[in-house]
Parts: sequence; C-alpha cells; structure tokens
Amino acid sequence: MLHKTIRPVVLLLGAAAVVLPLLVVLFGTFKTLPQLFDSPLSPPGSPTLDNYRRAVDEGGLGAAFTNSLVVTAGAVLLTLVVASLAAFFCARMPGRAGWAVFGVLVAGLAVPAQAAIVPQYVLFDRLGLTDSLLGLVLVDTTMTLPTAVFILGAFLRTIPEELYEAAELDGAGPLRAFRSIALPLTRPALATTGIFLFVMDWNDLLYPLLFVRSQEHRTLPLALLDFQGEFLTQYPLLFAGVVIASAPVVVVYVLLQRHFVSGLTAGAVRG
Amino acid sequence: MSSTRSARSRRATRALWLFPVPALALYLFFFAYPTAQAVQYALTDWDGYSTTYDNVGLRNFTELATGDDVFRNAAENNLKLTVTVVLAQTALALLLALYLVRTTRASTLLRALFFLPTVLSSVSVAFVWRFVYDPDGGLLNSGLRAVGLDSWQSVYLGNPDTAVFWLAVTQVWFHAGQMMVVYVAGLQAIPRELYEAAELDGAGRWDSFRHITWPLVAPATGIVVAYTTVQSFKAFDLVLGLGGNPPGPALDLLSTRVYTTFSNNEFGYAAAQSLVFMALIALLTWVQRRALRRAA
Amino acid sequence: MSSPRSLDRRAALRLFGAAGLGLAAAACAGPGGGSGATSSSASPAALATSGTPEGTVSFAHWRAEDKAVIADLIKAFVRKYPDAGVEQDIAPSADYQSTALRRIQGSKTGDLFTAFRGAQFQQIVRAGVYAPLTGTAAVDNYRANLIGPGAQAGVQYGLPYQLVFNMPLANTDALDKAGHTAAPTDWDGFLQLLDDLKTKGYTPLAWPGGDAANAGQLLNTMVMNNAPTDDAFTKIESGAYKVTDDWFLTTLEQYAQLVPYLQTRATGSTTDAVTQLFAQGRAGLLATGSFQMAGVRALGAKFPFDLLAPITTAAGKAKYEGVFNTTFILGVNSASKVQPAAYAFLEFLGDPANAGVYANGTGQHVTVQGVDYTNTDLKAVAPWLTKKTLLAPRFQFLNLDIRTAVENATVAVVGGKKPAQAAEEAQRVIDQKRA
Repeated sequence: MLHKTIRPVVLLLGAAAVVLPLLVVLFGTFKTLPQLFDSPLSPPGSPTLDNYRRAVDEGGLGAAFTNSLVVTAGAVLLTLVVASLAAFFCARMPGRAGWAVFGVLVAGLAVPAQAAIVPQYVLFDRLGLTDSLLGLVLVDTTMTLPTAVFILGAFLRTIPEELYEAAELDGAGPLRAFRSIALPLTRPALATTGIFLFVMDWNDLLYPLLFVRSQEHRTLPLALLDFQGEFLTQYPLLFAGVVIASAPVVVVYVLLQRHFVSGLTAGAVRG
Repeated sequence: MSSTRSARSRRATRALWLFPVPALALYLFFFAYPTAQAVQYALTDWDGYSTTYDNVGLRNFTELATGDDVFRNAAENNLKLTVTVVLAQTALALLLALYLVRTTRASTLLRALFFLPTVLSSVSVAFVWRFVYDPDGGLLNSGLRAVGLDSWQSVYLGNPDTAVFWLAVTQVWFHAGQMMVVYVAGLQAIPRELYEAAELDGAGRWDSFRHITWPLVAPATGIVVAYTTVQSFKAFDLVLGLGGNPPGPALDLLSTRVYTTFSNNEFGYAAAQSLVFMALIALLTWVQRRALRRAA
Repeated sequence: MSSPRSLDRRAALRLFGAAGLGLAAAACAGPGGGSGATSSSASPAALATSGTPEGTVSFAHWRAEDKAVIADLIKAFVRKYPDAGVEQDIAPSADYQSTALRRIQGSKTGDLFTAFRGAQFQQIVRAGVYAPLTGTAAVDNYRANLIGPGAQAGVQYGLPYQLVFNMPLANTDALDKAGHTAAPTDWDGFLQLLDDLKTKGYTPLAWPGGDAANAGQLLNTMVMNNAPTDDAFTKIESGAYKVTDDWFLTTLEQYAQLVPYLQTRATGSTTDAVTQLFAQGRAGLLATGSFQMAGVRALGAKFPFDLLAPITTAAGKAKYEGVFNTTFILGVNSASKVQPAAYAFLEFLGDPANAGVYANGTGQHVTVQGVDYTNTDLKAVAPWLTKKTLLAPRFQFLNLDIRTAVENATVAVVGGKKPAQAAEEAQRVIDQKRA
C-alpha cells in the first residue's frame, strides 16, 4: 500500500510548489527590498500599503487598469459576436464548407504571433490604429478568434439536428434559428468562452508592447514592465503590481471556476 | 412540397453564408494577410525603416539553413524545452488527475489550486520566478539554506547547460494544472464498471492502469500533448521576463530569436526566421498526430 | 490560454491546404510601403527653432527612475512657456533599445526623444528622424569633447545628456579596511586588492553574470588597456580583429583569474542581487558603473563611493585609468508637429541650472558645462571628469548578436569554459553574423 503514502506526499509537495512562490509575492508587497532579500519566506513584520500606493501613483496603474478594462471588455464582446456567428455557420453548413471555414479560422491556433508581428505592425500603423485602444480591441479580437471559434464550434455541434428541423418546418431562416435555438442553448458556452477570452486579453503583453506608445493608452501588463527601472528592479513594487494586475483574474477565476474547466474540456472527452 | 422546401433551404443556405463574413474579414485582413506578407518580406533584405530594399531571393533561407549557429542554437533550445515540457507536464498532469479524479471537497479545492497559475499573466509569472531562481537572495536557495541543504544550492538560470530545463520547470508550474483539468475530464468519462470488472478478475492497480485507464484516456493525451507542444514552442513573454531582452544563448528560443532579429532591424531575415518557426510547429504537430494515431 | 485543438486528420489536411491557399493568394505592397513614416527622406528638414513654443511635446525616453525629477523640470518649463506642455513617454530600456525607432518614426510619439549611443543612434540617423542641431544655441551649453556620440559626418544630430562611468563602483570603507587607499596600478596589484578584500571577509567583486545587460559592463575596463586600438570592437565587427587574437585571449584568461573573487554562483546573479549585496556593505567592488550610485543609496547604503577600474597590464603600460560613456542622446523629431516647443524643452534641459537639477536629482553626471554638483556621490566621483578615460568600448558594437557572442564568452569563461574554446565559439558566430 505504498500508494496510500505517496499520494498525500505528492499532493502536498505540489500544493506547496504552487502556494509558496505566490505567498512570497504577496508577503513581499509589504516589505522593503532588503527585507525581501534577507528573509523572503518570513511573513511581513510591519504591514504597510506603501508599495501598493507607490505602484498606483508612480506606476500609473490606475489609468492602466481602466485601459485594460476597456480593451478587454470591447475585445471579448466583439469576439463573442463574430465568433458565435462563424461557429454557427461551421456547425450548420452541410458538406465541406463548414469544416473548411472552421479549419481556416482554427489554423490560427498553431501560428506563432511572431510570424505576423512585423507586417501587422506596419498594417495597423498605416491605418492609424497603433497607439489606440480601438486598435488593441481589433488585434485582440483577431488573435483570440481561433480560440473562440474552436470552443463555440465544439458546443454548437452538440445541438441535435432535430431541434433545427422543427424550426425549419415552421419556416425559420438561419438568423431566427441562431437566435431562438442556438443562442439560448449555448449560453453556458458563451459564458465559458467569454471568461477564456477575458483571461487572454487581460494578460496580453505582446500587442500593447508593439502598438502602444503613449502613457495614456498603456494596459496593465505593459505598465508592469515599466516597474523595471533601468538598472534596478524594485521587486516589492513589482510584486505589488503583479498582485494588482492579477487580482481581477483571480477573483473571476475563483467565482466562475467551472466555466474554465468546461471550456478547456470542450473537445477533450469526445473520442 | 419537397421542391418548395429545397428552394427554401437553398435560400437559407445562402443566408447562412453571411454568418462567417465578419469573422473571416477580421481574421483574413488583420492576421492571414500580414502573415502572408511575411513571405514577401522574407525574400528581401529590408531593414524595416529604409524606403529601399533589395530582393535577395532565397538567400535568407540558405543562410538560416547553412550558416547561422545562433539560430540553430535557438532551435536546439526550443526542442529541448518542448520535449522536456511535454514529457514532464503530461506525466505530472496525468498523475495529479489520477489522484484528484474523485470529486471530494479536498480534491476540488486542490484542482482549483493547481489550475490557479494558468490564469496569471506570463509577465507576472516571469517576475515571480526570477525571484525564485535568484541564486543570491532568491527563494529556492534561501529555502535550501533554511533547511540546511546548503550544498544543494545552484545557479539555476546561470548555468548554460541547464538553464533551459529550469525554464521548463517554470513552464510546467505555469500550465500543468491546466492540462490536469483536461485529464480529469477524460478520466471521468471512463465507466466505473470496467474497473470493477477488472478488480473481480484479480487485476492489480498497475494492470488496471495499463489496460483500462491509459488506452481509454488516449484522446485526452492527444490533446494534452498537442496543446503542450504548441504552447511551449511558442513561449515568449516568459523567456523575456526570465532571461532578459535579448536573452543570452542559454535561453534563446525561436520566438525570442525572431524578436531579436527584428530588434536588430533585419526585417527580411526576421520574416524568414518566423516562417521557418511556423513550419517547424506545423511539422512537429503533424509528426505527433501520426505517432499518436499509430499508438492508438 | 487557449483551448486545445482536436481536429481529425482530414480537417487538419484541409486546414493546412486552406492556410497554403491563403498564403498564395495574398499579394502585397513592397516592404518599403510600410515604413510608417510619411516621408523618411535621408535629408531631414531643417529644425524649426523659431516660432512660439506651444502644444504638447511627447518626450520619449527609457529612464523610469528619472520620471519624478523630469516631471519637476516640466513644471518649471511650463511656467516659462504657458502654452506648451510636455508628456513623458517612458519605455523600459530593453524595449526602448528594440522599438524606439518604430515608435518615433512619423512622430506619433517622441517629438523630443532619446537614443542609446551606437547602433540605435546610427539607425535613427539613417532613417532621417533627427532634425539636425548643428549651429543651434542648444549645442553651446555642452562640453564639446563629450558630445561626439551624438554627431555623425560633422553634423550634430543629437545631444548626449548623461555622462556615466561604466567601471566598477567601490566601497571605500571596505578598501580602507583591506589596507588600500590608492588604486592598484597593475594587474597583480588588482588581484592583490581582491585578495585582501577576501581576507577581510568581503565579496571582493560583485558581478551580475546572470543579467546580460549588465554582465558586459566589466568588459569595458577589462579591454581598455589590453586592446591594441581604441576601436577594437568596431574592428571585431569588421573582421579586422578576431576574439581569438592574443589580446582578447589574455582578457579572457584574466576573467578566469577573477573567478575566486566573485560571489559564488556569479553566472546566475541578477543585478538586483549584487546591488543588494554591495549596498549592505558586504562587497568591495560592484562591477557595473556610476549609474548605480543612486540605486545603491536608495537601498540604504551609508558608506562613501569611488570608482576603481582593474588595470590589466603591467604598471606604466596602461593607457587609460577608466572608461566613460555619454548616452541618453536627446534629439528633436524631424516630423514633429510641435517642433518649436520640442526644441525649447531641449534648450531648457541644457540650461546649467536645470541640468544641475537633473544631475543632482538623479545621481547622474551630465555633459552640460558649468553644472554645480551638490549631490555627495556626484562630488566624490567628480575627479573622474578630468582623468584619462576612454569612451566605453562595449558600445562600439552595432550588431546585438555579435555583442552578445563576445560578452557571453566572458560569462562562459567564468562558468568554467577554457578561454580558447570560448573564444573560438564566439568567433564562429561573429563570422556568420558579419555577413
């Protein structure tokens, strides 16, 4: 019964490996840099919100937070609309066309973003969409479309044909079928996908890094990078920024956990 | 009756064609078209800011293939990283899933905990782990000193031979929980009766795993392996955060190599590199699919 | 996070087919069409220095730690020119190194902008982004012998604002304790100094080997006297010299001799960690540069500073006592819509009083003449302004890949690699990248 003892040991080690670094970060936000280096593992002696205050004031995290919210909300909504329409087509179109469109859209999952950044930068720049929140919404929407189409497509294919047939007999066109049958049934899937997109858009660094130039359009991950002073990283400040930037995602995760799981396993169980 | 129906369904089909238009328009214009432009850039020596450039044909590609140790080194690192992460993360995800497949309060909590790192941003994770690996005041060495294992202290990312493997550890910490969830779903779909029957036949724990669990969880394994491959192959923010910008040879990957070449204002060469990078991902994915199907 | 892919084989085939079609069907304009600049002619328009300073100037730079001081200067500037304003646009230095040109082309940002000495400055010149400053009043505020890095072919394109010494920072208390009041004049003397520091329980030389950006700073002083010419690294890039030449092999061997005097596991050390070690008074020397004085003070260090470079030759053979660098090159954007205001702010920064506010507030020396240094550390290091120093060799590299290869050879030697082998590997990369 070796197994009986191994299991708790493995799980305990795993839990420690996840919790410890995060705890050190959390504690670190209440320390000075020397304190952090001297005893990273100890709980903070005198809790002070100084690092958070400085992170918000000096790092301009307030404005960045708002930008992240605007960009994320815009991109998530836009992606859900266009992706659900496209996924509906992929699920409903008879013959090869549905699969072909699905294939084209999902192909993006395998393409590294670096493949397109140079021409993408040039294109957005010519359209005047660099250094604008709209540009970020558009590029985030584009880059998360494959994921959204993939998850929604998997859900939409599970809707039985009979439901549509009944509607078609009543003379419903595709738009009504989409509105009155597909949408109500995929509401949980939409929530799941929305949360997925939220995490992706909220954490995106590459595009803000490439596109955003001015302070006023900075998103959170980019503002975080600014915490690295030129020659000295202020770990405690950086950690405060990490906590501020991660808090919304973690809260959403804790509240809506099951959606994360169902989105991830959308295609996993079907053999 | 049937003719009107087919006419109507033809009309319906035509209307249906409008549905993917917005998605395709966005995707083709903002993503596929720029990606294709990379092909054109790759045939030039454009530096990214001059108004003139020369078409150099396939020279960028021949240079990549025959005389670029730096690129080859990045490709090797990338391969080491991907192979390590795929093996370690798949094994760990499956182990955790097996331990946590039953839905009790404790395992639900642990599942949530292991999944947590996945929702953080790569920048955050990189900063956290920079501190973990810091050989002087960092978490790992401080921890080892605290428990009297001074001789176990290491230089981590500072050793060029092992730096990539430490990067792999961070990547596994970051995403193992995500893959565990896929495995849990796969495991939960296996009918209990199979195990009960096997137990009646006197099969041990290992036998049931070999003859029931492993074969039946194969679809999930396929997804975990394919996804982990692409994910670790594309690692970028994490490397910049951990290895600096540009990262040294020990942590240079294909994604950072493309970015550094781009920073060096060799746009044409960077585009050629990015295409090779894409081709490698496609190839790797294809090889895996074949291997997995053969195994199934 | 995105979701896993599960496509059957046929779908996968179609997928690649479709992607291939997409690639084949796309036709596009030449790369030149996308430079982002409306017209990036190589001969930029003359600078508009006249005209009222009005409008908001975007000031692009990479010094996050100078933000507050610059903000104070901006307030004073706006009091002087009420119709003008300045917004700071700061990017971390590594990003600035790689993206600045694209950010400032077409002047969507960076009406006034900074550049690193060397590769970046030259690229921006070639791209025609600088409005030349030759003959403007702003230039007269600077020491003529220090602003060379902002000029090319006789034209002053930009004005390097910061003067830094890229040589080890010394804890003079520790040096006193180890019995050294004067800097060693030869290599053996330097090793002796390190040995005495070690005996007294100090980490003799704290070196951030794990941080590529700063690990290479030590190379400046290690080669300043070993190299046969002052432009040795330029010649490495041109192929005239090789890192397998004797002078560089000697340098690498000297690196190997330093190993016992570096902190343990030095090849992984971050700048933060060694700065911390030095700030706590536990190290004799910090192998980065004068630019870290303010940072070390911020960590609570109370001991006095000096600079101290290793002399790598025999006594009397040394040409230089140290190295300096002028960087943070200020330039006005040729495409700026608010050029008069951008120029006015440039001139404002060059005023000795304002430059003094900047210098004393940030702990950096400046290239402006007649600045009164009141900051203790700046005063302590001031004698170096008149010593025999060489413009930092490390920044002669124009190709980042070649620079990385050379600097990495030094890190590899510290990590235990044989100098000859490290040099050979680096030379291979250099030969490939020189093409």
